[in-house]
Amino acid sequence: MSDTESLEGWVPAIGHGVTLEEVVERAFDYRGNVTVVKADGTRLEGYVFNRNRDVAVPFVQVFDRAGAGPLDIPYADIRTILFTGKDTAAGNSYAAWLRAKEASQQRLGTPLPPGA
Amino acid sequence: MSVPLSQMWAVASYVIRQRLAGRTRYPLVLMLEPLFRCNLACAGCGKIQYPAQILKKHLTVEQCLGAVDECGAPVVSIPGGEPLMYPEIGRLVSELVARKKYVYLCTNALLLKERLTAGVFEPSKYLSFSIHMDGLRAEHDEAVCREGVYDEAVEAIREALRRGFRVTTNTTLFDGANPLRTREFFDAMMDLGVEGMMISPGYSYAKAPDQEHFLRRQRANELFSRILADPKRRWKFNQSPLFLQFLMGTRDFECTPWGNPTYNIFGWQRPCYLLQEGYAATFKELLETTRWERYGKKSGNEKCRDCMVHCGYEPTAVNHTFASWRGFRDTVTATVTGRL
Repeated sequence: MSDTESLEGWVPAIGHGVTLEEVVERAFDYRGNVTVVKADGTRLEGYVFNRNRDVAVPFVQVFDRAGAGPLDIPYADIRTILFTGKDTAAGNSYAAWLRAKEASQQRLGTPLPPGA
Repeated sequence: MSVPLSQMWAVASYVIRQRLAGRTRYPLVLMLEPLFRCNLACAGCGKIQYPAQILKKHLTVEQCLGAVDECGAPVVSIPGGEPLMYPEIGRLVSELVARKKYVYLCTNALLLKERLTAGVFEPSKYLSFSIHMDGLRAEHDEAVCREGVYDEAVEAIREALRRGFRVTTNTTLFDGANPLRTREFFDAMMDLGVEGMMISPGYSYAKAPDQEHFLRRQRANELFSRILADPKRRWKFNQSPLFLQFLMGTRDFECTPWGNPTYNIFGWQRPCYLLQEGYAATFKELLETTRWERYGKKSGNEKCRDCMVHCGYEPTAVNHTFASWRGFRDTVTATVTGRL
């Protein structure tokens, strides 16, 4: 699985071994909702689908938990990002499906197809 | 080859116009993803792993048409997600057909019969259903992680053909694919009467659940050489023969990541259909601000190293056809003789 699997529940503290830019990159790569904690203390929960550092005012783009957006948030307004939502890419559904199929076929006494 | 002459001409004249205009980067196929929601959860797919509020969202028809007009590609492929779950798919397709865009509606076909019966679509030379079929019954049902899907898809193909629609298939092959079974699968699809088949190796999506069965480049060459060796005359492929030669390893190409740009609810995806490294608000911004030199085999980017997927290399094959007399001759020869 992807290296984002372990990020669910991560509460990074910017400046303590990790930079804001690194956390934003991880949040962009994360397939779950996060909570953006802004510099003024307010919080926004949603999905970070984009970020751009190659512009005069670097920003992240978010669809909030209700699906509203895109909402642009400048990097400068972000204190940290908490990985609060379920990582939808985590797990191994193919392996689980294959195990279930093997078990089912063993019960029925039929062989697996070629390549399985 | 099975691409209709009118479609070949539309693409050829478009490419020639771009070249005469001196454009070096131009799109051939717009990958339009109106939604990510799907009624299957295939092991090799990295498209559907999103939180609920994202899966519930979809583009409006106006957003879709805006992207189509902005991009200008002569062909529009509608993948997803499952496009037949898009509530306005009928209106979208009808608008695209009215614009004389060649539309490939990529579907797992589970909802196709129902949509056809409901009269959502009208047959047109501009519309082709591109049915996801990853092999014969056992292989396909395994690939889509659900029993019975192959049979439903076959039934839908028959129904679509009976109603006069163009039907093609798209097949993704992974490590472990059996060449003989794949050849039997080609026979089965031709027996059904589909217009043509599209094949491609899978891409190792970082988010896909199955990471162990993606093909590396050399193994892909070996597999496709065995599958396509001595191809039967009756097999029709709805893609460039030069791309098939590339898959077999008899021809080397570099990726054309801007050839099949992708538009979805997040915007224009950088740099291609497979990698998600950010989004641009406009197609112009995508073309002008993406650092294209970072992508493709030559770039050394490890995400591109083993990729041989059609969305990057088929545009290269098409461009190659029109870049020189030799490319044109090779394409015509393979098309006419059926030899790869």
